[in-house]
Amino acid sequence: MQQVINGISVGAVYALIAVGFALVYNILKFSNFSHGGVMTVSAYFGYFLASTFHLSLLVTLALTALFGGLCAVIIELVAFRRIRNSNGPLIYYFVSSITVGMLLENIITIFKGSTFYAYPGLASNTVVRMGSITIPVMNMLMLVISGMMLLVLMWVIMKTSFGIAVRAASFDVNTSKLMGMNTSQIISLVFFVSGFLGGISGVFLGISYTLYPQIGQMVVKGWIASVLGGLGSLEGAVLGAFILGMVEVYLVSTVGAGLSSVFIFILTLVFLMFRPQGIAGNVVRDKA
Amino acid sequence: MTLFTSMLSFALITLLGVLGTFLLTGLTGLFSFGQASFMALGAYISGLAVIKFNVPFPLAIIIGVASGTLCALIIGIPTLRLNRDFFSLITFGFGEAVAGLLNYFVNVTGGAMGLSGIPPKTNLLMVALSTGAVIWMVNNFRRLKFGRQCLALKNDELAAAAVGIDVYRIKLQVFIISAIITSYAGALYGFLTSYVEPAMFGWTKSAEWVIMVFFGGVNSLTGAVVAGFLLNILPEVLRFASEWRIAAYCLIIVVLLNFRPTGLFDEYELSFRRKH
Amino acid sequence: MRKIVSLMLLLVLALGLAGCGGNQNANQGKSNNTPAQTGGVAGDYILIGSLQDISSSTAAWGKGVVNGAQMAIDKINSEGGVLGKKLKLVNYDTKNDVNEAINAYNRLVNQDKVVTVMGPPTSNIGIALAPITEQKKVPIFGDFMDERATTKNDGTPWKYMFLGEPSCSQQAEISASYTVDKLQLKKIAILYNQANAYAVSHVIPFTRYVEGHGGQIVAKEIFQNTDKDLKAQLTKIKNANPDAIYVPNYLQENALVLNQAKQLGINIPIIGNNSYFYPLIDLIDKSITDVYFLNNVTFDDQEVKKFLGEYKSKFNEDAPLHAFFGYDNILVIAEAIKKAGKVDPEAVRSALENIKDVKGYTGNISIDPATHRPLGLSMWIMKIDKGKYVSLEKYLPPAQK
Repeated sequence: MQQVINGISVGAVYALIAVGFALVYNILKFSNFSHGGVMTVSAYFGYFLASTFHLSLLVTLALTALFGGLCAVIIELVAFRRIRNSNGPLIYYFVSSITVGMLLENIITIFKGSTFYAYPGLASNTVVRMGSITIPVMNMLMLVISGMMLLVLMWVIMKTSFGIAVRAASFDVNTSKLMGMNTSQIISLVFFVSGFLGGISGVFLGISYTLYPQIGQMVVKGWIASVLGGLGSLEGAVLGAFILGMVEVYLVSTVGAGLSSVFIFILTLVFLMFRPQGIAGNVVRDKA
Repeated sequence: MTLFTSMLSFALITLLGVLGTFLLTGLTGLFSFGQASFMALGAYISGLAVIKFNVPFPLAIIIGVASGTLCALIIGIPTLRLNRDFFSLITFGFGEAVAGLLNYFVNVTGGAMGLSGIPPKTNLLMVALSTGAVIWMVNNFRRLKFGRQCLALKNDELAAAAVGIDVYRIKLQVFIISAIITSYAGALYGFLTSYVEPAMFGWTKSAEWVIMVFFGGVNSLTGAVVAGFLLNILPEVLRFASEWRIAAYCLIIVVLLNFRPTGLFDEYELSFRRKH
Repeated sequence: MRKIVSLMLLLVLALGLAGCGGNQNANQGKSNNTPAQTGGVAGDYILIGSLQDISSSTAAWGKGVVNGAQMAIDKINSEGGVLGKKLKLVNYDTKNDVNEAINAYNRLVNQDKVVTVMGPPTSNIGIALAPITEQKKVPIFGDFMDERATTKNDGTPWKYMFLGEPSCSQQAEISASYTVDKLQLKKIAILYNQANAYAVSHVIPFTRYVEGHGGQIVAKEIFQNTDKDLKAQLTKIKNANPDAIYVPNYLQENALVLNQAKQLGINIPIIGNNSYFYPLIDLIDKSITDVYFLNNVTFDDQEVKKFLGEYKSKFNEDAPLHAFFGYDNILVIAEAIKKAGKVDPEAVRSALENIKDVKGYTGNISIDPATHRPLGLSMWIMKIDKGKYVSLEKYLPPAQK
């Protein structure tokens, strides 16, 4: 039973990352690895806020989320805007995003990598005990926040005009541009929301796992979840994240972590043979 | 080994990895996160064959390359029909699985402490000749009908299929050839340093190779060769810049991707036959 | 085709030249004079090489070593230097990558012509460099704890490789003996990172000692580099009901284990290795207690306290344990140069082999010529008690006495 809770809490961590990741995928159809860089930078920014100004968790989260959003918008301007204007193929975005991720990680290593840090007194270790079962508060918070974010996002995407624009852009960026939409603005906004989530993930990761420059590499888990979940479908990404978390924990508790990577590889291979469209079943055509 | 020969040998071996990536990514647009794992396979399996079973050196290299080929088949057959991101995902998983196995069987592979005591059998000359041969081979591939079909499917898979190109088959062939080149590079590498460890072959290494291909220009073999070489020597030349060199290098690439997205060399080739 | 090859060769040449040129400039920037021909001497300086990671995953340690070494060099230079010349450290970044380290070592030897190299505190690089030193004949003195970095498979030492602290199995045996013989904890679980050579090379001798001395390993759980949530492993360990858990990983991973064990309500003693020093105490829950670990230095030593203070005022951070390694490495290397009487790698190598009683922070360092590892260097047992480090005792297992 404890292992189920463990699985859910790992899933909650992945889900938060995966939603931010899936948002960008949804529109631009590429895996945005710079998301990892945003998480790293935000994690350190949040630490700076929390340790210098002794802010409460909520204020830190809010400010860092804004900061993360801003970072993502700047990254979009610097690293993707020109590629999009020149109509470059998807793989250019992909490569550019990986490079930006590496760049941010490296900058943090240069300035902050000489030691490790932990968030000061933000109740990172508080748990709720029910009998023999332990539920960590941080993971619960992450679960609640990723759930809330998902609901808000769904509502925005389904009900507001911004959402309609996003959906149109996600269907075909170029056509919606031809129809007179300001796609640049919409894409900037999407990046902002994605970075906003990245900022939140960054703080949570920093609190749960201490600060280190490679913290953003957790992004690969979000990537796996969102691709498996159905190539950028938001619900799929969340579902994928929880399944990934559960499977990982299950494998650790049965075969052990030594061979779990091998089993995950085999499971993914088999899964894709039977369900080549991912969990949520969005069929995305490669337009290369 | 002097600084010069060691630098050169490492650069040429990485160049082999970059060439494998160039074939895969440059010709078909596929992105593999597990390319470096083929290098690990080549290095470990051929190294172990010599250490544990006293297999003669040339045969050991063949065994190493064969195992790389086999794995490429296992990965390629089910995934190459699917969306490209799934291919990236599976190759990533493959890389993790290989690293997991190498770490797990401590008694055989030395685990995280690495495999030491591989006899030093390769030298600069051998590496240079191999690189030359592979460049020649890749260049020929591109000129053949095969290479042109690849370019067609990279630019538009649907259209390529519509004119009767067997997209799946070609992707599989390219993937296998690139796996052969990379695992061969790995075998050479193991016998050069006489020490290998799983951490050398992570997914970031595969990503680096793709970045090098893009740096030179994804459509230019000359570009891939020059970039693969330059970007390997550059950090060593910039050593006095110490910790800033990786950051500088990333920055250059981001700027290049944005302002000259076709890479340094665009489609330029150093040859008399193909002038654009 | 021919053109491609010739272009490549041209490039090689050009870059080779650029490499030399760039390096000379760098040297000129560092010293007033052009590098002299004699090995290891550039103008008024004796050059000591250093291979540390300052830009990758183990940068926290590498920077600690460099800072500590610089403190030692400043001190020696202020007292007149060695053989009438001042010492100078030439550090190259290894990015914690074996290739980089090999290139950097070759560069230190061929271009900077250093007299000795201070090695990194990571075993993999030490193991990879060992056969290369046989050709280049410039000794490396460092803290690569794995035995394979200092001795060959047949037990004879690598001629040019020297270790400055107790080796992995010595340290693991001290931990094991303290757990089984002293604390009388017999049922032990192990949780370690399988992808980390440092951790793996502790686990093997630890297991051997425990099982040979009436103890029992009841659970051996592992994780990988990317695993940060270890509650699944810890839950399994909890269910195995051990008396203690041995956790020999890198600092940050140890912090994760301690915190998550606390969250799961695991309240048994945790046994650690020598990676529990600063800043670990700042990363863990303040209510954690009953953690016993090895350390190369102790706070009972006033000199150590002074060093920590100086380091903090100089670099604005708590000194990691590796700063002491860097400091002591330089002391030993300087002593060897002094003993050799000349700045010559071969002479310094012979002197290193016979180093006796260099008083460093980590103890009196004497090198055993048969293994090239320090002789009888004892370690301190320290305890973490509610947000504080407490020194318990100097401990050597009965077998090592």
